[in-house]
Order: sequence, then C-alpha cells, then structure tokens
Amino acid sequence: MKSASILYLGVTFGLFAVFAVIVFRTYSRKRKEKLEEPKQRMLEDD
Amino acid sequence: MEKAEYNYDIVRSFVNWSILWGLVAVLVGVLIAFQLVNPDLNFAPFLTYGRLRPLHTNAGIFGWGIGTFFALFYYMVQRLCRRPLWSDGLAKFQLWFFNATIIAAAVTLLLGYNSSKEYHELEWPVDIMVVILWVIFSVNITMTIVKRKEEPMYISLWYMLATLVGVAVLYLVNAAAVPVSLFKSYSAFAGTNDANVQWWFGHNAVAMVLTTPPLAVFYYFLPKSTGVPIYSHRLSIIAFWSLIFMYLWTGAHHLLWTPVPDWIQTLAMAFSVMLIAPSWGSVFNGYLSMKGQWHQMRDNYLVKFLILGITFYGLQTLQGPSQAVRSFSAFIHYSEWVPGHVHMGAMGWVSLVLFAAIYYLVPKIYDRKLYSIGLANLHFWLVLIGQLINSLSMWVAGLQQASMWHSLNPDGSLTYTFMETLAEIYPYWFVRALSGIIYLAGVVVFIYNLYMTVRRGKEVPVAAAQTT
Repeated sequence: MKSASILYLGVTFGLFAVFAVIVFRTYSRKRKEKLEEPKQRMLEDD
Repeated sequence: MEKAEYNYDIVRSFVNWSILWGLVAVLVGVLIAFQLVNPDLNFAPFLTYGRLRPLHTNAGIFGWGIGTFFALFYYMVQRLCRRPLWSDGLAKFQLWFFNATIIAAAVTLLLGYNSSKEYHELEWPVDIMVVILWVIFSVNITMTIVKRKEEPMYISLWYMLATLVGVAVLYLVNAAAVPVSLFKSYSAFAGTNDANVQWWFGHNAVAMVLTTPPLAVFYYFLPKSTGVPIYSHRLSIIAFWSLIFMYLWTGAHHLLWTPVPDWIQTLAMAFSVMLIAPSWGSVFNGYLSMKGQWHQMRDNYLVKFLILGITFYGLQTLQGPSQAVRSFSAFIHYSEWVPGHVHMGAMGWVSLVLFAAIYYLVPKIYDRKLYSIGLANLHFWLVLIGQLINSLSMWVAGLQQASMWHSLNPDGSLTYTFMETLAEIYPYWFVRALSGIIYLAGVVVFIYNLYMTVRRGKEVPVAAAQTT
C-alpha cells in the first residue's frame, strides 16, 4: 500500500474518531443540562 | 444591555434591498419561463435566455438569499450574543458594497461576460468584489461572536460560523483563474479536474448558502414564533456536525456517468445517501418541537411558513440523495426533473423560511403591528400553490422527457428524435410559466403587506415589539 493511501486511511479513521468523540461528549449525561441550556436562554427577553 | 444599542438600521436596510433583488429574481424567472414557451420574447442581445438565466439564479441566490441572510445574521448574532455588532461602520460599508456587487454582477451578465461555471458565472473583477464582501461580513460576525456576552452558543451561531468558513473556502478554490483581459479569465483547473472542482463548489453552494444559513434561521425563528424551545439542542448539535462531516464529499454526484473516476462518483453517491441522516435530524427536531403546539399551524401564520419550509427541506433531502444514485441519475439527469427539484428547495424550503423570518422581524424592527395577517395567509397560499405547480409540472415533464429519450425500437435505434421530445415539453413549460405568475403574485402581496406595515401599521411600544 502506498504511503499516500495509508495517510488517507489514517485521516478517514481520524475523522471518524473526532465525530465519535463529539457524539459521546454531546450525549454525556454530565453535560446534558449545560448543552440543553442555550435553547431556553435564547427564548429569554434580551 | 439596553435593547436600543442593537443595530437594527443595518437589518432594515438589508431586508429592504434583499426583497428588491428577490423581486428581480422572480420577475426574470417568469420572463425566462415564457421565453422557453415563446422564443419571440428573446430580445437580442441583452435580454436573451442565455444572459437572463444566470441573472435569475444570481439574483435569487446571492441577491435575495444571501442579502436576507446578511440581515438575519446581523439580527440573530446581536441577540444571541447579547451585544451590539462588533463594527457598525463595517456593516454599513458592507451594505453599499453588496449592492454595488449585485449591480456589477447584473450588468456584466447582461453584457455577456460569463465564466461559464454554473452558479459561479461572475468574471474575476466581480469575483474579487464578492471576496471582499465576504471577508468584511465574516470578520464582523466572527468578532461579534468572539466578544459575546452570552457564553453558551445556541445552534444558530454554529450554523452561521460554518456558513462563513464554508463559503470562503468554496468560493476561493473555484474562483482560481488566470485573467487574460479585464472581463475574461480561464479556470486554473483543466478537464475533469475543472469539472470536479466546479461541482464540488456547485453542490456545496447548496450546502453553505441554501442549507446552513436557512437552518440557522429556522432554529432561531421557530422557537421565537411558537414561544417554546426546540425539542433537543443536543440533537441539533449532532445533526450539525454530521452535516459538516458529510456534505463536502457529495459534489461529484453531479458528474455521474462522466469521465470523472468511478471511485469519486461512488464516494459522492454514498455520502449523498448518508446525508439523509443529518438532514432529517433537523427535520425531526423541527417536528418534535411542535409537540403540543400543532394548533399553531391554524393560529400562527409564521408557524405555517416555517413548518412547510422544513417539510420541503425534508422532501428535498430525500429526493436529492435518490437522484444521486447512479441508476436513477441515468434516467432523470439532464431532464426537466432537475429544475423541479431545485425549485422545491429555492421556492419552498429556503424562501418559506425567509418569508417567515422577515414577517417576524419587520414588526419588531419598525415597532409596528403587521398590517394584515389575512394578506400574510394569502401570500402563504399563493407561494405554496405556485411552488407546487412549478415542481410538479417539471417532475412530470422530466419523467416524460426521460422516458422518450430512453425509448428504443426493437432494432436498438431511438424511438423519438430530440425535436419530438422537445415538442412534448411545451405544455409543461407553459404550466410552469403560469406557476411563476402565481408565485410572483404572492411575492407582490408580501411586499405590499410589509410596505403597509411600515407606512400605516399600528405603532406598538418598543419594549412590546422587541420581546419574543
């Protein structure tokens, strides 16, 4: 396998890993309140 | 923070100008629809179909679409960040530079200067104006967000930032060209590479101009209109990131069955189908936000526009990926089916959401009650019926056209000549042109209602007008 192909494969897996981290952090129970807060705040009179 | 510190002058100005360009886009659209029915309506050389068609798309996408997004982004960013704009002066300069750019675009297109790249027709001097305009806008919005007084970032701000970055990257790469005179340049890319870059740009213009900004607007104006929060902010974040990860790979689905390498076509096809997930993440979020609020579809004219808008987004993001599948694309590509698809997105999804946002905004930024809810409802039905007739007539035309193109005699020869297939399309083109008149009537009602709101609408106290 060419080094360029290995690099592309690495980038692909890297992007999947980044996305998995985003999903995990977004749906972490500890962060639920913090991440749902903006939807209430935007409705408050500013 | 006193509400009076927010800069609504710039919002008002962008709303006014973008509506003007929107009217131009629809008027030219109706004219070119009739030109297809009756070629005698082509007045050479400036008012021929070939020159007016890019004017129609540029006025629609850049004048109406982006002009309104300028207004709405400036409104939303101040309120979501709870601070005034970073620079009022820059915003004012941007307003006038925006109009100068649109006028330069219109004049050069009518004079026949055209790079021949769809949705990126403007020649290099006007390209430079677009880049300056976008840099000014991006700096102002980004700095307002960086210096915000509200720490948590609502999802609309994420979509706004994605728009700024996405458009900048796409436009700069696709604009790479070698000028050979004041109004003529040649693409820096050649052959299939040029086609690939062009459609990477072309389809992602749909992403970064006609998807992320209206989603920012939808996520802001739906809860503001209903008075209840969106169903899930976390779902909106996941839908956002998955859309960002996937969208930029889909452009080559415009080049299925061409000399572009097969693996690129397959990649684009796969990502296009996967894109259904994030798109419908936002659609479900919108529908679930209406839980217990569906009565507002009867009582609240804004909700009608917004929910029909997100419904068309949902349909668009099912139809789009279907068209990106090789076998289906082989049948409908290059037929009238495609304009039907595009106009469901432009006249349905994007414009319905923008109409709602402007109806919400104008009474607030002018401290007036809307002149007539009845006229707003009339506007809704006219544009909905106009859009449905437009898309349906083109889908039926496309199916007939594609069937005739693919029809073979027992000996393998074509059953129909091209001219025979063309002659069959005329009745559909006529229906499409009539649908444009219905849509135009809706837009005229919209403008009249807003004009009367500003001129004769009942004044309401500033505080009342500026609450949710």
